Amino acid sequence: MGLIEGTGLDKVYSTATGPLVALTNVSFTINEGEFISLVGPSGCGKSTLLSILGGLEQKTDGDLVLAGQHHDAPRRDIGMMFQTSVLFPWRTIRQNVRLPGEILGLDRKQQAERTDELLDLVGLNGFGDRYPSELSGGMRQRVALARLLAHDPRVLLMDEPFGALDEFTRETMNVELLRIWEKTGKTVVFVTHNIGEAVFLSDRIFVMTPRPGRLEGIVEVDLPRPRTTEVMRDPRYTEHVYDIRRMLGVDH
Amino acid sequence: MDMTAQATLPGTSAAAREDAVARFIAAEKRRQQQRLIRNRLLAIGFGLLVIAIWYVATEYGFVHRLIIPSPVDTFWATGRVMSADYFWPNVGVTLSEIAWGFGIGLTSGVVFGVLVAMFDTVRATLYPYLVALQAPPKIVLAPIFVTWFGFDQPSKIAVAVVMSFFPMFLNTLTGLSSVDPNAVKLMRSLTAGRWKTFRHLLLPNALPIMMAGVKLCWTLAVLGVIVGEFVGASAGIGYLIYAMNFQLDIAGVFSLIILLSVFTLVIYQLIEWLESRIIFWKQL
Repeated sequence: MGLIEGTGLDKVYSTATGPLVALTNVSFTINEGEFISLVGPSGCGKSTLLSILGGLEQKTDGDLVLAGQHHDAPRRDIGMMFQTSVLFPWRTIRQNVRLPGEILGLDRKQQAERTDELLDLVGLNGFGDRYPSELSGGMRQRVALARLLAHDPRVLLMDEPFGALDEFTRETMNVELLRIWEKTGKTVVFVTHNIGEAVFLSDRIFVMTPRPGRLEGIVEVDLPRPRTTEVMRDPRYTEHVYDIRRMLGVDH
Repeated sequence: MDMTAQATLPGTSAAAREDAVARFIAAEKRRQQQRLIRNRLLAIGFGLLVIAIWYVATEYGFVHRLIIPSPVDTFWATGRVMSADYFWPNVGVTLSEIAWGFGIGLTSGVVFGVLVAMFDTVRATLYPYLVALQAPPKIVLAPIFVTWFGFDQPSKIAVAVVMSFFPMFLNTLTGLSSVDPNAVKLMRSLTAGRWKTFRHLLLPNALPIMMAGVKLCWTLAVLGVIVGEFVGASAGIGYLIYAMNFQLDIAGVFSLIILLSVFTLVIYQLIEWLESRIIFWKQL
């Protein structure tokens, strides 16, 4: 019994030009503490699936169970992170990280301590009193990462969190994310269209294809942990990337 | 690092390079200051030029004094008007009308803006009418308001309210509606309800656009009161302007216009200062 179980999930949008099938018959199991990536081209339904997992959107049909309960609404044990940092410019870095605690009415003193620990964890010690506009894009995503962990959610849902960063910053953030994930043991569902990133990070990769959005297959990543950028020289890394490209039909 | 720099720049010591950088920065600062002074001088010079043309045109008989009084006449008229015993009571009347008109217009604009933005039922019920009401120029209501509310203050306040309400209403609505969808998703994922989303996200996010509305609201409240006083009043600055114009005291009219402009501008600056305080993060 996994932490999250989806069975025959469908999602249909009603649009002006008729019904649009975003997801069809998607079934999967996600275990506690696993790092899962959803990979696929635009329109494959990976962001829709993430929204459904977050309880922000309703499935049209199928079953979704989280920790033994039917799941169809936002929960405080799920955290979400987006492609943009979505920091509030009127709040300092520290105040931004404390937002989830304030919304959920968590203990103020504990949250204050936790905020300092988290800023430490993401390498932003000393930036707590700055404002978001004073930080670079990579630093802002670090703050978003700290905020994601603020209320200690069990499941982290990340929607292309490093998609807007340059290649170098993205790689650094990937390494940091793995370090934090190994430390905290969270269950992560990570959306990306970057195959290499998915292979580098994940235990398993859900490969999705568009029109209509389907789960084409699941790739088990056979690479040792803890991982450093060294694994990118591992022949198995290249092989996984190649396999996924073939599943997505992007080989020319 | 130093080694390579040394290699590519033979003969320059670290001290010499530092010195060059310091000199460059000093020169750059000087240039900036000179540009600032030049811009100030240009603006002041232009103002003086306009006054000079005004002076020559009026004092040397190119334009009749009854049409445009000279700057000197206007200056003396300002002193005369401000020391007259009828002046300050009339100022008091107009100021209290503006204060009430601005206050009510601002408050009702914000309240309706929030209600329409936050409640679908209110939006569905009221929004079409509020948009339709916004179409005609509100000045046409001034004579009707005099009929309804009389020659005293309430009719002027009413004109100011209907004129200043709409920019405040629309800017509040626009401000509350223009929000990053991901930020809304974030709040929803944190199980935040309507009120928490409003307080932590929508309201602070709307403040820049709302403050732009406050400035419009202020200008239009002043305009509304003066127009109201033109249409029918027994006291106030607008009434004085109207009366002096009738008596062909054009210099007096000019002085009142200048005084009113100065007052409006001072309050406008005050609002801008408040704005920079409230939405401090835009300056960062």
